[in-house]
Amino acid sequence: MKVPVEKMRNIGISAHIDSGKTTLTERILFYCGRIHAIHEVKGKDGVGATMDSMELERERGITIQSAATSVQWNDKFINIIDTPGHVDFTIEVERSLRVLDGAILVLCSVAGVQSQSITVDRQMKRYDVPRLAFINKADRTGANPFRVKEQLKEKLGHNAVFVTLPIGLEDKFEGVIDLVNGQAVYFEGEDGTDIKRLPIPAEYEAQYKEWREKMLEELSMFNDELMEMHLEGQDPPVDLIKAAIRKGTLSRELTPVFVGSAYKNKGVQVLLDGVSDYLPAPNEKANWALDQDKGEEKIALEVSDSKPTVALAFKLDDGQYGQLTYVRVYQGEVKKGQELKNMRTQKRFKIGRLIKMHSNHMEDIDYAGAGDIAALFGIECASGDTFCDDKLNVTMTSMFVPAPVISLSIEPVDKKSGDNMSKALNRFTKEDPTFRTYVDPESNQTIVQGMGELHLEVYIERMKREYKAEVKTGMPQVAYREAISEKAEFTYVHKKQTGGSGQYAKIGGWFEPITESDYAFESQVKGGAIPNEYIPSCDKGFREAVKKGTLIGFPVVGVKAVVNDGASHPVDSSDMAFSTAALMAFRETYQKAKPIILEPIMKVAVEGPTEFQGNIFGSINQRRGVIVSSTEDGSFCSVIAEVPMSEMFGYSTVLRSMSQGKAEFTMEFEKYAKVPESVATQLKKEYEEKRKQQNR
Amino acid sequence: MVRSELVKQSPLRILDASTNGGVGKGNVGVLAARHGVGKTSALVHIATDKLLQGKHVIHVTFASRTVHIIDYYEEIFTEISKVKDLAGAMDLHDEIAPRRTVMSFDQKTTNTAHVIDSLRSRIHSGGFPAELVIVDEFDFLHADLSDLMLFKSFAKEEGLELWFSISLDQEGDFANQPVPVILERHLVNIDILINLRHHPDDGKVHLELVKDHGAKPKDMHLVLDTKTLLISPE
Repeated sequence: MKVPVEKMRNIGISAHIDSGKTTLTERILFYCGRIHAIHEVKGKDGVGATMDSMELERERGITIQSAATSVQWNDKFINIIDTPGHVDFTIEVERSLRVLDGAILVLCSVAGVQSQSITVDRQMKRYDVPRLAFINKADRTGANPFRVKEQLKEKLGHNAVFVTLPIGLEDKFEGVIDLVNGQAVYFEGEDGTDIKRLPIPAEYEAQYKEWREKMLEELSMFNDELMEMHLEGQDPPVDLIKAAIRKGTLSRELTPVFVGSAYKNKGVQVLLDGVSDYLPAPNEKANWALDQDKGEEKIALEVSDSKPTVALAFKLDDGQYGQLTYVRVYQGEVKKGQELKNMRTQKRFKIGRLIKMHSNHMEDIDYAGAGDIAALFGIECASGDTFCDDKLNVTMTSMFVPAPVISLSIEPVDKKSGDNMSKALNRFTKEDPTFRTYVDPESNQTIVQGMGELHLEVYIERMKREYKAEVKTGMPQVAYREAISEKAEFTYVHKKQTGGSGQYAKIGGWFEPITESDYAFESQVKGGAIPNEYIPSCDKGFREAVKKGTLIGFPVVGVKAVVNDGASHPVDSSDMAFSTAALMAFRETYQKAKPIILEPIMKVAVEGPTEFQGNIFGSINQRRGVIVSSTEDGSFCSVIAEVPMSEMFGYSTVLRSMSQGKAEFTMEFEKYAKVPESVATQLKKEYEEKRKQQNR
Repeated sequence: MVRSELVKQSPLRILDASTNGGVGKGNVGVLAARHGVGKTSALVHIATDKLLQGKHVIHVTFASRTVHIIDYYEEIFTEISKVKDLAGAMDLHDEIAPRRTVMSFDQKTTNTAHVIDSLRSRIHSGGFPAELVIVDEFDFLHADLSDLMLFKSFAKEEGLELWFSISLDQEGDFANQPVPVILERHLVNIDILINLRHHPDDGKVHLELVKDHGAKPKDMHLVLDTKTLLISPE
């Protein structure tokens, strides 16, 4: 069945951990009629909420991986993309934000706008995602949705406007007042499916009038007709009110606020009506691709089935039936039997099976139109890959992937774990390009690399739970780099005579520091001093040499090697002789080029109540950090700093304990910078000791 | 040019010479101008000069996003290094950048006492021995006399200099008089007052010294170069 694009909604549900996101998702799925019983998060029945497909998430009651689920509410087809709640998984969060057109921001009536809500909200702002706010848990002791709505204004800068109000609060929470329709809505029956729309109770009449007035006042900014009617004291019709809310929401100048309790089955259906009425269809949001023929220049995509196809693989899932690839179709259509090209691998593939997913069951479809989300079976690809029609050369994401900043050695405890570990690593590296793995040729250990301590920890956990791979981990290791700081000239003769044909190569030139790339090679050899066929051998030798510096054994970056002179022997010169000469020339000259050690510096953002600002300053100062800026906004502060990765181990624990758990931080790679002399000396000493031990 | 010469030859030495050695520790300097004339650039130039002397600087802002202020510092440094053909500019940049920090406050929800608390916390808990604090776009109109006094006693205790800037939106503020109307009542707490004024006759933005501690203000012959946004000799 073809779904008209204006009836589609791609939404995310985003929240702070424990705001009740998973419960809300579960209720939405239930009311949309796709699942037949409601399971609680950490439920006693041991089943767990449907969206949490991973065991780890089930146990922690949080959602780490995004999954996409299609549901129908009245005449709208809603794809729900479950966005990760944890901020450390940048790539995952950003990827899921990319594919959604609108979102529900879930907030807790008691805890209000928490620091993580701020982070997630900022990310949504960056992707221009229109939002509805759902103030959940109105049944909890201490619930105060009015305060939370104010926080939406103060802390998040939203023009937050109530469209529903609570009838009673805490244990007296009974239902909601629908300010748009002017009705009291009650959710009766065991699962709240029996909706009763009644006149507003007399004791709420005054409150209703007050807040409806406030709502109409805000809405009159978005519709002239409504403004006129409002000024003349007429009551605007429901359609006009809805149109104004929709306009304000789509332009992100207004955030409609809903109140409810997902756990008590109250207010969710009204929120779903809000999703249908106020969040955008795929063709109401601009989407861009990067033109690979024009240096990643942005080009607008058109939500039209007849255009050439552009789709983004935003999530992989290893189900019981094999690999599932979730795609969002941005332009054109995706059909069974169609051939598309993976832009990263440049390989063509044919779509065998196309499905729509619920968390636990699937439905075969023949076709997914522009704007829709579907899943493909058995496609060899990685997350973030773009699938295109042959006519196009565009990608949805930049081909640039940041280099990992931390590594960890892992060792399976037994053979079975070893086999499972390989499977797990194979899967994870496909899912997440910032997670990498290799076998260290010297120690023969398996090394995993990633973007932070927690990033690696979660994968280790997932290995254990999903793949039954028990591993022992080593100490986390920072990805240092070495670099030269001065130009240094070299002349090197490699000569060996050991019976039979010998080895002879002479090369001359210099090394110089560069910033444009990690490594560059240039030949300025004139008059055949080095025969042409041996020039690439020099390059090969240098490349081998920069793989491992002699200061602390890390790769050397920012080096340009230039050869301008040399000599050869008609019999004894060879490819190997020249590459060995290059390798040795580098090692011999390295010290002359004043090598330095570089360390990854992370951009760290710490957020918390102002009362802890002094502690935050102190903790960053202790970690060799540089505080770039601090911002105080009411009772809340955020501090931006640059801190060496090596100093960030265990910071989450420290921060939690010094702020009574109220401060949080995020970090991302910023740059490589020279380590201070004292640290360099220490690192060199440790490397020397390690080498001595190995030699013994 | 190398760094020591740069500091020695800086046009800001003219400012120092004209004002008996500059603002001085525990004192307050104010830079007043109409909106968009280049106050922040001038302040950032003053701050960068201190940074080049190896000192720590805190830049307080009420009006702008912190990123915006950091951009100013980057631009002013780039201009200085270009104009003066500075040797080893990259290394010098990396060396001075950690000695500056930007602190942003919401003027509506914070008061002077709180700003000073946060500054103290930045200096002591954050291990940041600031010698200059810049308070950009301070709301002199709504400030009490006690606000500036609080700042002054803070500056004395911490042994640092304070530079404020004020945006004058109305032409009438200082069209015909050297001391802007808003600042009249605060003048007693101000040690150096400089107006940044656009002179239509030569098209340049001049730095006019209006108050110099207790001394008679001299003509500094300094302008703000509208191209580089640097303070330069006339």
